[in-house]
Amino acid sequence: MDTLVARYSRPAYHENEVLSEQEQQDFTDTVPSLKFAMPPVAHPSAWLRAATDDRSNPSCPIKIAHGTTTLAFRFQHGIIVATDSRATAGTWIASQTVKKVIEINSDLLGTMAGGAADCQYWLAWLGMQCRLHELRHKRRISVAAASKILANLVYQYKGMGLSMGTMCAGVTKEEGPALYYIDSDGTRLAGDLFCVGSGQTFAYGVLDAQYRFDLSTEEALELGSRSILAATHRDAYSGGSINLYHVKESGWEKHGFTDTNPVFWKTKLEKGEFSNVTSSLDD
Amino acid sequence: MAAMFSQNPLMNGPNYSISDAPKEDAPEGARQHRFDPYTDNGGSTLAIAGDDFAVLAGDTRLTSGYSINSRHHPKLFKIGGTTADQKDATIVLSVVGFAADGEALKERLDTICKMYRYRHGKPMSVKACAQRLSTILYQKRFFPYYAHAILGGLDEEGKGAVYSYDPVGSYEREQCRAGGAAASLIMPFLDNQVNFKNQYTPNSGEGHALQERERRPLTRGEVEVLVKDAFDGAVERHIEVGDGLQIMVITQNGIEEVLLPLKKD
Amino acid sequence: MDHRPQAWGRPRDDVYGAYDASYLQTTGPKTATQAPVVTGTSVIAIKFKDGVVMAADNLASYGSLARFTDVKRLRPFLSTSIVGFGGDVSDMQFLDRHLNELAIDEAYEHDHAETPSPSDDSTTTTQPPRGQLNAANLHKYLSKLMYRRRSDFDPLWNQILVAGLDSASKPFLASVDLRGTTFSSPSLATGFGAMLAQPIMRRFAATEEDAAKLTREQAVDVVKECMKVLFYRDARSLDRYSLAVVTKDGVELREDEQLEKQSWAFAERIRGYGTQTV
Repeated sequence: MDTLVARYSRPAYHENEVLSEQEQQDFTDTVPSLKFAMPPVAHPSAWLRAATDDRSNPSCPIKIAHGTTTLAFRFQHGIIVATDSRATAGTWIASQTVKKVIEINSDLLGTMAGGAADCQYWLAWLGMQCRLHELRHKRRISVAAASKILANLVYQYKGMGLSMGTMCAGVTKEEGPALYYIDSDGTRLAGDLFCVGSGQTFAYGVLDAQYRFDLSTEEALELGSRSILAATHRDAYSGGSINLYHVKESGWEKHGFTDTNPVFWKTKLEKGEFSNVTSSLDD
Repeated sequence: MAAMFSQNPLMNGPNYSISDAPKEDAPEGARQHRFDPYTDNGGSTLAIAGDDFAVLAGDTRLTSGYSINSRHHPKLFKIGGTTADQKDATIVLSVVGFAADGEALKERLDTICKMYRYRHGKPMSVKACAQRLSTILYQKRFFPYYAHAILGGLDEEGKGAVYSYDPVGSYEREQCRAGGAAASLIMPFLDNQVNFKNQYTPNSGEGHALQERERRPLTRGEVEVLVKDAFDGAVERHIEVGDGLQIMVITQNGIEEVLLPLKKD
Repeated sequence: MDHRPQAWGRPRDDVYGAYDASYLQTTGPKTATQAPVVTGTSVIAIKFKDGVVMAADNLASYGSLARFTDVKRLRPFLSTSIVGFGGDVSDMQFLDRHLNELAIDEAYEHDHAETPSPSDDSTTTTQPPRGQLNAANLHKYLSKLMYRRRSDFDPLWNQILVAGLDSASKPFLASVDLRGTTFSSPSLATGFGAMLAQPIMRRFAATEEDAAKLTREQAVDVVKECMKVLFYRDARSLDRYSLAVVTKDGVELREDEQLEKQSWAFAERIRGYGTQTV
C-alpha cells in the first residue's frame, strides 16, 4: 500500500528520469567510478562488436584506434622495451605519434597493443593500484604482483569486448629483470622475450635470430630497434617512429622516439640490409 | 595450422573446444531491439596549438543523410566557466560525429569542471580536464559515445595545448589534429603545413641527403590563415562540410570567438 | 581476442559469435520491434520579427491509410511555447500527458515561489514570470528526455519542434528527434517538410537577420503556402491543419484551418504516369 501511495503522491513524469546514473554521479563523485554504462540489449558484447569491429565490417560506425607492433626482452643488464607508434582506425592512420610505452610509474613500464583506450585506461588504473600497494606495504610492488592485478582485472571483463595485449616490464631486487605478458583473454605469462601485435611475426623473425641473454646494452638497444624496423617495413599497420626504453633496477631510461624513415635508409645504405628495396632514384 | 595463414580467417579460423558464444535466451529485463541509436551528423573540426595560443575551429553545418538540418549548429563549446554564457572559461571542447552524443559529452564535462571549481575553488587545468575527459569516454567503453573529441587550452606554462581522443577515450597531446567527416582531407594538409612533413630545404643535398625543413612554431596569423584554407578546401570536396566556420582562439587574455562564412552549396 | 597477425586484437568468432551486422541495420527494411505505427507527417515553423509561426496538418496516418483526420499535433505549453510533433502519435500522446503534468507542477511551484511582493512593482509582464520555463528551457528538457530514452534503446519515435521565446525574449525555434539530436535554425521542418517546405521557407528566412525582417503576416503567408505545397506533393497529408503563432503576448492557436485557393491545374500537365501516352 505504501508503495502505491508513494507512487501516486508525486507526479508520474518524475518516473522518466532525464539524467542517466552516470550523469547523476558527476554531481556527487570526486573520483570516477569503475561502473561502465552498458547498452540495454540482451547481448551487449555482440552489440558492441557490431558497432566497433572494423575488421569484420570496414564500414562500422565507431572505429576504435588500434595499436600494433610492440616487443620486450630480458637480457643481462635489464629489459629492452621497443614499440612502433602508429595507430590505425580501419585503414585510416589515426596517428603516427602514439606513445605505446606507458610509464606506469618510475620503475614499471607497460606496452600498448590492441585497443589504445583499453591499454591507456587500465595501465593508468594499474599505476594507481601499484601506488596504493606501496602506501599499504611500505615497499615497491613486484612485477609479478602488478601484472597479476592487471590479469585478474581483465579476466573479470572477459568476453565483454576488451582488446589489449600488454607487457609489464620492471626490475626489482627480489625478481631481477621481470617480464610478463598479459592479454584481454586473461592470459598472463612470464618470459624472456615477447612480441605482440599485428607485426609480431616480423619482429620475432629478427629478434629470435639475434637474441642472446648476454647481449651488451648497446647491442640490445640496437636489436630492439632493428626488430621494430623490420615490422614497420613489412606490416602496413605498423609504422611511425621507434620508441625505445631500457629498464634497469634504478628505473627505466628512455632511448629516443625516432622516426623510422631515416633509420630505414641508414640501415639500408650503411649496412647493406633491405636489399629488396632499390635506393637508386633513376630506376 | 593452415588456418593461421589463411587470407580469409573469418571463414576458417581456429576452432577451440571451449566456447563463450552468447546464449540465445535474453536475460531478465533486457530489451531485444534493432533500433540503431547512432547517426552521423557530419561536419569537421580542427585544432592547432601554437606557442602561446591554441586555435580550435569547426564548420557549422549539421546534416543527416543528404539533408542539411541546420546551417548554424556550433561544434565548439567553452567548458568550465562560472556562468551560463561561459565568458570566463579557459578550455574549449570540440565534438563531431553524432551530435546528441557530442552534446551529452559536452554537458557532462562542463558539469564536472563546474563541480571541480566549486569544490577546489580554482578552475581545472587543461591537463586535468583532458585526463577526466578520457575517463568519461572510457566509462562508456561498452556503449560508446559516437564522437571524435578535441580539447584545447593553455597548459601550466602558458603554451598552447591540443588533446585529441578516439571514441572510447584513448588520447594524446598533439600539435594539430583534424576530426570528423573531412579529417582525411584536412589532416594531410596539416601534416605538411604545421609539422612540415615532407618539406625539404631546397639544394641542401641530393636524394636521401636532402635536409628536412626545420620545424618552428607557427604564429597566430599563420595559423588563422591555415585554418580558413583547410576548411575552404574541405568544403570544396566534402558534402557534409560548409555554411559557416566557427573559430575560437585561446590566449592568456581569454577566448576570442569568430564566425566566418563558408560556401553554402 | 584474435592472436593471428592478420586479425590481431579483434574479437574472435568462437568467443563472441559470428559478426552480426544486423545490429547496425545499415540497409534494408527496418526490423525494429518498436516502430512508428500511427504517424503524423510534417511540422513546419518559421521565425519572424517578434515570434514564431508553426503549422502541422490534422492527419494521423496508419501506413498509407488516412486513419484519423482530426488529430491536433500542435500543443501549447504554459501559454509561452508551442510544441509540434511529427512521427508516432502514441508517443506524442505520452509526451502530451507528460508535458501536462510538468506544466501543472511548474505552475504549482511557481505560484508558491513567486507570490508578488507589494514593494516590487517594477517587474514587467511581457515575459513569463521569472523562474517559469520558457521555450528554450522546455526544449532542453525535451532533448534530455529524448536522449535518455534513446540511450535506453526505448525511443519516443517523434521529431519535435519547440517554438517560443528564449530568456532574452528573442524568438526561439529548435528541434529534437528520436535520438536526442537537437538543432536550431530560422526555419525548421520535419519529415517531408524538410525536403519540400524548408527550401521555400529558406528563401524568406535564410539567416536570423532575414527572419528578423519578416512581419507576422508575411510569416503566416509563407507557412500557408508551404502547407499547400505539402498537400500537393505529400501523399500522407491533409488540407485541414493547425496554425499557431507565438509571441510575447502568448500563443494563438487555430486548430481547424482549411487550405484555400488550391490550384490543381498543374495536374493536367503531368505526363508519364497512368494510361495517357502523350
